[in-house]
Amino acid sequence: MAAKIALIWPEIALFITTCLVMLLGLSPNKQWRSLCLPASMVGLTVAGVLAAMGMGVGGPVGDTPLPYLPGFIKVTVAGVGLLLLLLQAGLIDRREEALIASGRAFSALRTNRAEYFALVLFSLTGLMLCASAGDLIWLFLALELTSLPTYVMVAMSSSRNRAQEAGVKYFYLGALGAATFLYGFVMLYGGTGTLQLATMAEVIAAEGVNTITMAGLLLSVLGLAFKIAAVPMHFYTADVYQGAAAPVSAFLAFVPKTAGFVALLLICSAVGWTHGESGNALPEALRIMLWVMAAVTMTVGNVLAILQNSIKRVLAYSSIAHSGYMLVGLLAGPGDGTFGGSGVSAVLFYLAAYGVMNTGAFAVIACLERKAADRGEPMEVEDFDDLRGLWKREPALGVLLAIVTLSLLGFPPLLGFMAKLPLFTSGISAGEIALVVVLGLNSAIAAYYYLRIVKAAMIDDPRGEPGAADSAVHHPAYNLRLVTGLCSALGVVALAILAGQLAERVTEASGYIAPVGPSQPVGSATVLETETLPVQLPMT
Amino acid sequence: MLDLFLAQSAFPQAMGQGVLAHYLFVSAAMFTLGLVGFLTRRNLIIMFLCTEMMFQAAGIALVAFSRYHLNYDGQTFVIFVLTVAAAEAALALALVVFLFRKRDSLSAEAWLEMKG
Repeated sequence: MAAKIALIWPEIALFITTCLVMLLGLSPNKQWRSLCLPASMVGLTVAGVLAAMGMGVGGPVGDTPLPYLPGFIKVTVAGVGLLLLLLQAGLIDRREEALIASGRAFSALRTNRAEYFALVLFSLTGLMLCASAGDLIWLFLALELTSLPTYVMVAMSSSRNRAQEAGVKYFYLGALGAATFLYGFVMLYGGTGTLQLATMAEVIAAEGVNTITMAGLLLSVLGLAFKIAAVPMHFYTADVYQGAAAPVSAFLAFVPKTAGFVALLLICSAVGWTHGESGNALPEALRIMLWVMAAVTMTVGNVLAILQNSIKRVLAYSSIAHSGYMLVGLLAGPGDGTFGGSGVSAVLFYLAAYGVMNTGAFAVIACLERKAADRGEPMEVEDFDDLRGLWKREPALGVLLAIVTLSLLGFPPLLGFMAKLPLFTSGISAGEIALVVVLGLNSAIAAYYYLRIVKAAMIDDPRGEPGAADSAVHHPAYNLRLVTGLCSALGVVALAILAGQLAERVTEASGYIAPVGPSQPVGSATVLETETLPVQLPMT
Repeated sequence: MLDLFLAQSAFPQAMGQGVLAHYLFVSAAMFTLGLVGFLTRRNLIIMFLCTEMMFQAAGIALVAFSRYHLNYDGQTFVIFVLTVAAAEAALALALVVFLFRKRDSLSAEAWLEMKG
């Protein structure tokens, strides 16, 4: 119990911050109210530092077959979360704040700032809790805590109808996904008789995978496919990313995806990469399902991305494709435990890299706003034409967009390339040659639309008609968003330079303890052994 | 203490596989009906109730498995599932009211602006 609490100090710090932010945002005093963002960032930094300190202890910190995972995930979440938080500046209450500045009385009922930042922090807390999970109840609750706030964030991110449409689609498919993986978890419990992941690993190692457990595994993976936006649960992605404001889309591309991958890693670790002929693969049915899912997901994502004209939809489909890439690492498993051979460390590396790159891309989009024809809230940049000549209009944004896009493409020597390489090597060392070929082909397809973005921004001339550039608006949060973009681009470069260090960290974090048969006695507090009961009966 | 309670309440009898199968059948039927309803109905409230039904299907299976394995993990899980289902219901109803005010319609078809 005490060990478990020691594991979640970062989440506790984050929760206290959340409570504080909820109060701060309701203050009639503008100074206090604007403290919401700095306070959230301080809280997240504290959580990150606490997690980093816990990581330095050296021993295993979790109670799953992947015991070193929590520390790394939490530090990554804190790092990328800081970028994402900074990006949320000026998104909520823009109109209300302008009205208050021009003399309207403050009303706590009309402002949403406190709730919004609380929702962001709750979601990040849930993500960190996912990494600490040791049993399926905890994992389920953490996944829901990650997702529920994001549904609200999407719906309130903009007053346009598209945001509400995105909110309703996201919520309903999210509920379907949650019900599916919940049913999967129930089947896992039914098949193994325990909810503890470590005990489950022992039971499966001793008795093998029975039918109910296998059904549970497949359903869990199917339900979690919603969180990572993988086929066949990817339908919402493009609409939701397009409908939500760009800062929220950036949030959705990292937070639920990371939660989904952490959950998938934990569940696969409980099954163990100890099956198959070679003894280091997942059970055959699960392997085939993940194989097909990975191949179809990356192909669908990339092919549909080519057909899009809206930048946010392109990024949404590319987000689907990136999930497909990462599934290769999940399938490959820990392998020999080295950086090049372990799919788990490849997934962790890719998650961190993807978070940084993708936030940068969405930050540039969030910076580009223009006056709406209907004098409503400013419109975001929509299609490739809006990006044309960005380099001439706003050189900084143009360069930023080029860097992060090339990195997303996996252009050497940028971060995206470093992240993709271990996915290839781990796939090859796991013997999944065909899948690695699909991965390579897809990386080539992806070049088309990424380079199209770079070409529009850097090479094409600005659009002819006057007014396109004039109507660009710089809202008060423009600078903060620009800083977010700069930090992401810096992160892309810095992480590429420090890739060796990051590789060490992820290799450490992906340490996998292959389960062996049950150690006696199994979870004495929770599992009541049936044989002992008749003996105790006469005593009553 | 727990053992004492178990002994007194005549709980320790494990459920046979035949009985378990009945419970699982009901649970699977509920889950499937919920899924089919979700995919075929277009009323937002009905669609939400369908996902609730899928949640409750999981609850039934949990209780049955709990009795089958003779441990309390499953029953504990049910309480959390109910809590999450309640939280989701609060969210869904708030969202539905919000959407209804915008479009005066409960149909999911009223929200099909984005395509592609």
